[in-house]
Amino acid sequence: MTGNDEKHEGVRRTMDKAGDVVGGMVGRMTASTAGSTRADEFVKSAAIGDLYEIAAARLALRRSRTDEVRAAATKMIADHTTSTHHLRSALRMNSTRGLPAPPLEMDERRKTMIDHLKAAPDDKFDKTYVDQQVLAHKETVDLMTGFREHGDSPQLRSLAAGTAPVVQRHLAHMERLRARLA
Amino acid sequence: MSPEDTHLQDRTFRMAFNPLAEKGIPIERQFRNWSELTGHTYNTNDVHPYTRCRVILMNGIEVEAIVNSHNAARRIADTGIKQMLALVRKAEQQQQKAVNWLIPGSESTIANTIGYEQVAVDLTSWIARHEPDPYLNQVYEFGVLEDYDHLYRYANLMDLMGERRKAEEITGDLTEILPGRPTIFHHRHPHDELRRPMTVEASNFQSILNALTVVSAEQQTMNYYMNVGNRPEDPMARALYCEIAMVEEQHVSHYESILDPTTPELLNLALHEYNECWLYWSCMQTEPDPRIRQVWELHLAMEIEHLRLACEMMKEVDRIDPEEIFPRDGVSEPMTFEPNKRYVRDVLARTLDLTAYDSEFVPVGDLPDDHRFFGYQNTVNAGGVPSEEVIRRHREETGGEYRVATEGEHPNASLRESGTCEETPYAKVEQEHLENA
Repeated sequence: MTGNDEKHEGVRRTMDKAGDVVGGMVGRMTASTAGSTRADEFVKSAAIGDLYEIAAARLALRRSRTDEVRAAATKMIADHTTSTHHLRSALRMNSTRGLPAPPLEMDERRKTMIDHLKAAPDDKFDKTYVDQQVLAHKETVDLMTGFREHGDSPQLRSLAAGTAPVVQRHLAHMERLRARLA
Repeated sequence: MSPEDTHLQDRTFRMAFNPLAEKGIPIERQFRNWSELTGHTYNTNDVHPYTRCRVILMNGIEVEAIVNSHNAARRIADTGIKQMLALVRKAEQQQQKAVNWLIPGSESTIANTIGYEQVAVDLTSWIARHEPDPYLNQVYEFGVLEDYDHLYRYANLMDLMGERRKAEEITGDLTEILPGRPTIFHHRHPHDELRRPMTVEASNFQSILNALTVVSAEQQTMNYYMNVGNRPEDPMARALYCEIAMVEEQHVSHYESILDPTTPELLNLALHEYNECWLYWSCMQTEPDPRIRQVWELHLAMEIEHLRLACEMMKEVDRIDPEEIFPRDGVSEPMTFEPNKRYVRDVLARTLDLTAYDSEFVPVGDLPDDHRFFGYQNTVNAGGVPSEEVIRRHREETGGEYRVATEGEHPNASLRESGTCEETPYAKVEQEHLENA
């Protein structure tokens, strides 16, 4: 790579990171408003959050060479698969009848985050992944804690109550991991 | 106990029953002497199978009442509540003795075990058929095929143990004895026993009664096997009890995980007491043995008072009004032990190959290759599996398997000729997994 290429690559990465941060802020705003009260919005946000976490973690298992990052990614796959299953089960109960099925694909914002992760060079992958994880988990924590308190569906409030402490621990772990990698 | 303590008889033989509208026996008059608690037993040779089932069930219900009360007492500092718990718990303890001591000493452990599994099959089937929530219905259907298989494995064991009776003399012609989902494949990673809980706020009240009932029954089955499974001398019998005892613990995790974990302690107590009222009323409605029906009636009159005390405390301490929780017109349908042969066959035909993945039920062939199920199976099943061995041994010693089929051939082709697992979808998936590893 030439010096110019490196400079352009650096600018691209900076813009990707900025894009992730802005996206994260938008996500937290949504999570704290409609996502925290309306069952249909909660279902959509929770499902997409899980899809993103699992996709990002699979990428991390393929690309990271750091044991701690790989261990964290393994846990993300397990825990977000569990939350996916619980959401599916909740939506088969009488008390959630009429709610739309959860989406099967990520939204554009999360697809873009995955694209940024794929584009990260090898020596920057771990940092990119963990930075995204902190952003994404802040959004999920807002979603779960908000809906637990204010949601309009008792069954989904119960689901949020069960999931909130798990994602809070995820966030704490990712923040510690980010500090160690820095 | 005086005749006026059994005043419920006339008023409760009717279609609906509201325990909150009845008057029970004052708690101070509920304690009995030793001969009142241990005097009677049923005759193991001529007891109706479903009378035995009711005795086994209500013993489990009382054990859960006691365990729940003890657990609450460990977490509550309020002395007044602890005193109420202790008072009611003493009565529940006596009730448990009176019920469980109906089982005669002449009924062997294996014979009683057959009774336990008949309870599991026909209780869970009734509950599943009366479960209004589709997800919770699936939880019961998943469990019933496993207890159905336990009945079959224990029946083959009983046949090898030199018992003077066969299992069908215990179950009557009420419950078929056929392979279900093979026990070898029940052994799952602990995370895969945790289901989606209901909420008291949004659930149909029947769903709450159903869950409390089945949790209690499975818990008592777990307790029973974990305590008596070491009593046989035959190593294969000991091993089979060990294996099935582990599955019964899984069932307790499976069913208890559908209860609402956020239920306040006193509401939880009141729900337990209401459930006991429903079940004793149900037993009373359906019991043909007049002597044992009197036990159900007496205990119902006691539980009505226990419910009143729990509700009074709940209203005073937590400001929860029972009228906001319990159905205004009470309950209308008694839990009834009755044959479920066609229903179980239908569940067998539809869902034999399901396993669990977290809270979901999926065909075993849909599990990812690296799923924790395969690792757990490899670990616990290494070196031989008692539930498979008992069938092989029965075939070697008698030339065939012990089965009782009254409704035609087995609904699932993979278990029609053999109760060992080789032809089942499970075995094929595990074989493929080994080959791809």
